[in-house]
Amino acid sequence: MSGGWPTDVLFWAFSAMAVISAILVFVTDSMVRAAYWLMASFVAVGAILVTLNAQFLGLILILMMAGEMTIMAIFMVMFMMNPAGLNPMLMVHQHRTAILSGVGSFLALATVGLFAEFPDRPAAIVGPAIVPLGQELLGTSMLVFESAGVALLAVMIGAIALVSHRGRYGDAEQGSEEPPLEVETSQ
Amino acid sequence: MSLEALLVVAAAIFGVGIYGALSQQSFVMIMMGLELMLNATILAVAAFWWGSTGGNPEGQLLVIVVMTAMAIEAAIGFALVANVYRARKADITEKLKRLRN
Amino acid sequence: MNPATAILFTGGVLGAGVYIVSVLDRLLAGTAAGNREGTAALLLDPFRSVALLMSQRRTVTERPDREAWALAPALLAGLAAVAFTAIPLTPGLAIADVPVGIVLFGAALVQVMVAVFLHGWSSNSIFPLIGGYRFAALALSVGIPFSLVLITTAIPAESLSVGVIISSQAELWNVLRQPLGLPIYLLTALGFAFWGPFQHPDAADLAGGSQTETSGTALLAWRTARAALLVSAAAMGSAAFLGGPLGPWLPGWAWSILKTVALLAVMIWFGHRTARPRMENVVKFGWLVLLPLALVDVFVSGALTL
Repeated sequence: MSGGWPTDVLFWAFSAMAVISAILVFVTDSMVRAAYWLMASFVAVGAILVTLNAQFLGLILILMMAGEMTIMAIFMVMFMMNPAGLNPMLMVHQHRTAILSGVGSFLALATVGLFAEFPDRPAAIVGPAIVPLGQELLGTSMLVFESAGVALLAVMIGAIALVSHRGRYGDAEQGSEEPPLEVETSQ
Repeated sequence: MSLEALLVVAAAIFGVGIYGALSQQSFVMIMMGLELMLNATILAVAAFWWGSTGGNPEGQLLVIVVMTAMAIEAAIGFALVANVYRARKADITEKLKRLRN
Repeated sequence: MNPATAILFTGGVLGAGVYIVSVLDRLLAGTAAGNREGTAALLLDPFRSVALLMSQRRTVTERPDREAWALAPALLAGLAAVAFTAIPLTPGLAIADVPVGIVLFGAALVQVMVAVFLHGWSSNSIFPLIGGYRFAALALSVGIPFSLVLITTAIPAESLSVGVIISSQAELWNVLRQPLGLPIYLLTALGFAFWGPFQHPDAADLAGGSQTETSGTALLAWRTARAALLVSAAAMGSAAFLGGPLGPWLPGWAWSILKTVALLAVMIWFGHRTARPRMENVVKFGWLVLLPLALVDVFVSGALTL
């Protein structure tokens, strides 16, 4: 879909939002804000996907990220418990190397993107892109799709096995969890 | 909007992700860097689908595969971080000088 | 439809819906408690509440995240409006009747997690924060059955567009074709709007949960947005399961409104007649009862369509 200048304006606005909020993730002083800036970056990329006429993928990306980023925010709060929320929290190592690598990889990839010769065959999509995608997913590429599903199932089982607390006599919530070996005293 | 512009934006997001993954100490912040890199990958793959493959649905399939990778990364990442925290009360990489308990 | 008309239309319809929700809420709370109020008092009560909240002084906590605190109610209201735009009130009268309308609705509703968690977090106070945690657990437990039963309505329609889903119910409404769908949808929609038995994020046992520290116009905005969310969910329920504008004699928009109000009444009545269970029982119920039932719904509908 090349919808003329409104599409271009939208594209540049969402691009700016995607990059700026990506930078803000590592600049902000609040872990919850960091997680939600990351989500803003994903939402902007999802919106760009929608302007590219990949509506389904763009909306699915936005849908996936809300839950994941809320979980990320909760993990950050649980681990760091910095309740005021806006305390300074610049926690970095090898800062200069990291900045150089970031800028370097940006320059290298942007150079490739700008100067490499890619085949110029723009999408000529009549009607929604969702119909051919659905036929592809459940037709010729079904094996790929199913493999992704099986991989996700294996990951779910693995992640639950890693984190579940199950005591000797049943669920953890029934008080079967064995007591910790050492009692932590508050200093 | 052109393929080149899309790729430059993706490269910028990827660069920020590299910076985050290399510089942060907190496990969760490192995961945010990884997610940003995957975000850039999604954008670049979608850009190629749009500008270079003539709207072939297999390009969109690749985006779905990247999204699956992202979900797997998040699930296993959170599980490992939770386990490390339980075993060591550690939330930053510096507390893990060795992996043996 | 041009943008100004679209905004006015969405705001007007949702505003009317919020008024109906608050009148119904008051009425059904009264009948549940066994005391009847006069009609005039019932109809004027929402305006009294608005006036009271508008004249209330705003309280501030120590070192809150001000921007996020201001953003949360606006975000919730905006998400309710975006979800609403995906629903055609009569054939052709949807603000965003996109080919993947049902995914747009789902994406908007899932983002409610962000709004509620930000609202709980931003006031820098413990009860609201617990409210935010509770909503994350609640939304993850009810969200998957919610999206499963909603997406199942796309199977007989063979389309993700809400307009096509409605027209596919011309012969038989989805409420009869997929009998498990509507009850699960209404229960989980109550969860997403944290209403009735699923009010945990804003519940009384947390002294108001995520809204404990909120007051004045911000509280008004929060409650309005929450009611608007319930209206959007009911409107989608009427479109996806009850055929939306389909029906004899009356014009399409009248049927849409009638069905939406009927679903709102059922949900609010249920909310006043059920107790709030403990949070871990809600999580167990979501994963161990609602999710398998929703999967049965998917499989049976898929098999019937083949």
